[in-house]
Amino acid sequence: MAVTPPPLRTVDTGAGFRHPLYQVMLETPGLTVGTAALDDLLSWGLTKAMWIFPMATSCCGIEFMATAASRVDIDRMGVIVRATPRQADVMVVAGTITTKMAPRVLKLWEQMPEPKWCIAMGSCAISGDFYRNLYSVVPGIDTFLPVDVYVPGCPPNPEALMHGMMRLQEKIQRQRKGENVVPELNPDLLKITQPSVPRLNEATRSPTQTLEQERASENPTLDEETDPLVVPPSEPAPGLAPLVGADFQALLIELGVAELPKDGPPVIPAAQHLELARRLKGLGYRQLVTIAASHWPAGKGRKGADAAEVEHHEIAYALRTVGPGSRLASWAVKVPVAEPVLTLAGVFAGADWQEREQFDLVGVRFAGHPDLRRIMQTENATTHPLRREFPADAHLAPWR
Amino acid sequence: MTQLTVTAQKRPNPYLSIDSLDPESELMLLHFGPQHPSTHGVFRMDLYLDGEIIVKAVPHCGYLHRAVEKLCEKLSYVQLTPIVDKNDYVAPMTNEQAIVMACEAMLKLEVPRRARWMRALFAELQRIASHLLAIGTFCLDLGGALGGGSTAFIYCFRERELILDLFEDVTGARFHYNTHTIGGNRHDLPAGWGAKVKAVLDVIEARMPEYAALTIENRIFQQRTKNVGVLDGELALELGVTGPNLRASGIDHDLRRDAPFHAYDEVKVNVAVATGGDCYARSIVRVAEVKESLRLCRAFLDGMPEGPINSGKPTKLTVQTKIPAGQVYVGIETPRGELGTWLITDGTQNAYRLKIRPPSLHALSALPYILPGYTVSDAVAILGSLDPIMGEVDR
Amino acid sequence: MNEFLQGGLYGGGIIVAIMSSLLFVLWTERKMAARMQSRIGPTFTDPLGFLQAPADVLKLLQKEDIIPEKADRALFNNAPLLGATVAIAGAAVVPFSATIVGADLEVGVLYLLAVGALGVLPVFAAGWGSNNKFALLGAMRAIAQSVSYEVPLVLAALVPVILAGSMKLSDIVAYQSSHHWLVVWPFFLGIPAFGLFMLAMLAESNRIPFDIPEAESELVAGITTEYTGMKFGLFYMAEYLHTVIASAVASALFLGGYDGPIAPGLWWMVLKTGLLVVAIYWLRWSLLRFRSDQLMALCWRWLVPSGVVLVVGAAVWVVFAG
Ligand code: SF4
Repeated sequence: MAVTPPPLRTVDTGAGFRHPLYQVMLETPGLTVGTAALDDLLSWGLTKAMWIFPMATSCCGIEFMATAASRVDIDRMGVIVRATPRQADVMVVAGTITTKMAPRVLKLWEQMPEPKWCIAMGSCAISGDFYRNLYSVVPGIDTFLPVDVYVPGCPPNPEALMHGMMRLQEKIQRQRKGENVVPELNPDLLKITQPSVPRLNEATRSPTQTLEQERASENPTLDEETDPLVVPPSEPAPGLAPLVGADFQALLIELGVAELPKDGPPVIPAAQHLELARRLKGLGYRQLVTIAASHWPAGKGRKGADAAEVEHHEIAYALRTVGPGSRLASWAVKVPVAEPVLTLAGVFAGADWQEREQFDLVGVRFAGHPDLRRIMQTENATTHPLRREFPADAHLAPWR
Repeated sequence: MTQLTVTAQKRPNPYLSIDSLDPESELMLLHFGPQHPSTHGVFRMDLYLDGEIIVKAVPHCGYLHRAVEKLCEKLSYVQLTPIVDKNDYVAPMTNEQAIVMACEAMLKLEVPRRARWMRALFAELQRIASHLLAIGTFCLDLGGALGGGSTAFIYCFRERELILDLFEDVTGARFHYNTHTIGGNRHDLPAGWGAKVKAVLDVIEARMPEYAALTIENRIFQQRTKNVGVLDGELALELGVTGPNLRASGIDHDLRRDAPFHAYDEVKVNVAVATGGDCYARSIVRVAEVKESLRLCRAFLDGMPEGPINSGKPTKLTVQTKIPAGQVYVGIETPRGELGTWLITDGTQNAYRLKIRPPSLHALSALPYILPGYTVSDAVAILGSLDPIMGEVDR
Repeated sequence: MNEFLQGGLYGGGIIVAIMSSLLFVLWTERKMAARMQSRIGPTFTDPLGFLQAPADVLKLLQKEDIIPEKADRALFNNAPLLGATVAIAGAAVVPFSATIVGADLEVGVLYLLAVGALGVLPVFAAGWGSNNKFALLGAMRAIAQSVSYEVPLVLAALVPVILAGSMKLSDIVAYQSSHHWLVVWPFFLGIPAFGLFMLAMLAESNRIPFDIPEAESELVAGITTEYTGMKFGLFYMAEYLHTVIASAVASALFLGGYDGPIAPGLWWMVLKTGLLVVAIYWLRWSLLRFRSDQLMALCWRWLVPSGVVLVVGAAVWVVFAG
């Protein structure tokens, strides 16, 4: 079904302004001087009371806070930080904007009343920094927002942001006088710095489509893969008998679970690992440290694996004892990619989020997980980016 | 030994569907975030409210998912430090340390004693800076941007700037230092730096009573935080909550003492533990840790050994450096808890898989358990007291 | 002279005077807050950042006026106007000096309380009309708060009324200048009643530590979340107006109003009001915020009973000692 794109924001240049009063104003002696003075006054008001809406997402946000704190004190310029976009004049985008966040940023920008300005603070906001080619990061906010001032740095010093604000004041004043403040670009330079992503207002880019696609992606539709896999976690798995015994601890040491060997944690049969976790918890390994899954394509495996290995996941678990002399226990489970692993969520509540993350990024499915949804990517994402075949320089729509 | 003084409460079940909680659909759904003044970055909670009481909370993260783990698979080992700096952007020093320690463990590199002491000193200074920010932003959550909260916040930032200045002297950057290399440190301490540090420590120590008066000794602060957001110790362990949040729940666990790294085996570390598991306990643990860190910083400064600051190898480590195949897990105590690095290598110059264990993610996973039953105002306080940094939650 | 003309002149004069006093108030608050936080505060608007408030207003006037699509337009548009009107209406009966008083009503105190109680209307209209959950929550909190704090406010205001035996503000001031200021004698009634009045007034005008209806860190901006431009500006102004007028009323009721040696009455009134305003801002910038249920508990458990005790005490005092 074809969706009609929303109308583009058009800039009113005033060329079509034909009010009869306009002529009168121009011809009345002294009035233009008066209106010019009034105009100066109004732009003075605009520049001296710029209230900021901080779109502070990450590290640059901390520097933004430092700018508001006492060393630099952005309040000297009359800046108040407002929490609601409705009362702000300048949106300072401080930090990395991800594809998941970008629609929200756009929405917040649209909620701001005109006249409004945007400052891109930090390399992430300007170009995506070193994340720019990755699957989840927007390569510069000017792909979807009109940026007025760029403040480079990673992170820019508070002083730099202050300078950016002053440049914005300058820009506002000169714009009101009708000056074109877009710097003239050397055409040769332009060729070199041509961004790989078409910017706003460029012919090669279709912002409406981007918007539509992003909007559509906002409606959470359940991933097919997240269909509940109903396997009760407490179901006794076959082959458990040899592990459950009085000499369990000895077995642990034998298997090398109590320490992390150089080649990686010992591999436990998938059916037994839930029971192992229970037993370890009983032995004092009460803290869940981490769950780390890795994807191994066919023919590849951990050190010492044979070449005939099928494509599989290796999920490593780590637990800890608390208190002095804390010890780490870890083990791994190896399953072919299509097969699920029993969830640990029934034993360790924290396994919930960990497993969701591994499911989202690596693609391991956990049987019996109470709430296996994506956690990092948008809920309708289709990829598992930490799989080996997923390119690091992903070119994902709609940002590229 | 750990002793649990927190009375075990009935643990709420976060998986109950909202229809079963609210058959008549009378609840109000409040989207809290992703852009909200007190979500500490971009984080979203869907709060189902009965009046102002939270019935169910569904946290959503990933709004700052920067794909760091994928990026680390692409880059060579020596290029990793500036990348991981950006994870926990309030304590970049400790991020770097976690990653270089993992690489060193794989390469079996011996780190010189001076470098280890310097790392410990940096880590402690960073802990002070980070806790100051945590306390400051917590007050901001409690008191609002246009009130007493911002006063406490700005005081904390004022002192944090002093520490950033110290780091700037050593590394040239306010944060995102990139000062650790595999096998040692990149920058030696400049001459006369020790005296500057001591002066800063004295200033902070002298001003501690002021913060205490504004925060933990303040009646309103206590009313707002006591018995709010009680996290049971056993649940905290299961969730993998670490750091001050765990110690506030009565669990005496600190990797600096329990699994020493850097130079912590040579200096006695006193661990601050509080019982109660509420927001107040988390705050007093942080304040106590700042005091302890002040002491530790002095100890590390006084005992700073002479000698080389790296093992000599880093000069030869290049982007071509390969690490033999294997796996390693290294966990260190950062201001927020156990920051782990699970490094899987395959003998090439890139990591095969690098899993970062972020303490904040585990802290946030406690939210569905502790939020129900409190009001929206409490939700803000609870979130603030957990001190999450979204950069490391989402990576 | 024509009564309407006189009223208009007086009213206009007082409104202009109070509005321009806001300029000082805003500047003082911003500078004071900055100093308390070891900052400098506005400096870019010379002199000394004094023109910051006009700049703010100029800017707010130029902003786009957004009305949310699903908002209740009538409520949404009129709430700021109503808010500002109600806030300034209290000034009508405040005696700024023996001669400068808009309308010296027989029931001045009653009028003040009635107008104060009206203050909840614009808040509710704004919260409901914006069709925003944060605003709605803020409005609900504000209503609960205002309705509760109405009671201690009335009780505290009753004390000077009982002592002076009149509801006319000028009578109360006259009583104080012929006897003593209420906070001086009988201080055991005057000082607690004064404190109670100030607390309840703070709560009514939603200032920290009672600013939960617009708690920025929880409810984004509370009832004003959806307001843009000058509509927000009106709310902003109303808040400050409320503080100023509440301080003026408090100084008339308890601090002897325009009574004072040497200088003319108006100066004393301005001085006392100014000091109270500064004290309010001092509190604001050093305290954290209560939670709404704690606020209610504070009101019903402590403030209302003590208010009752004070009123009874005042009656006893009048009968036996007055
Ligand atoms: S530019 Fe650098 S400091 Fe700023 S958000 Fe990006 S990574 Fe962080």
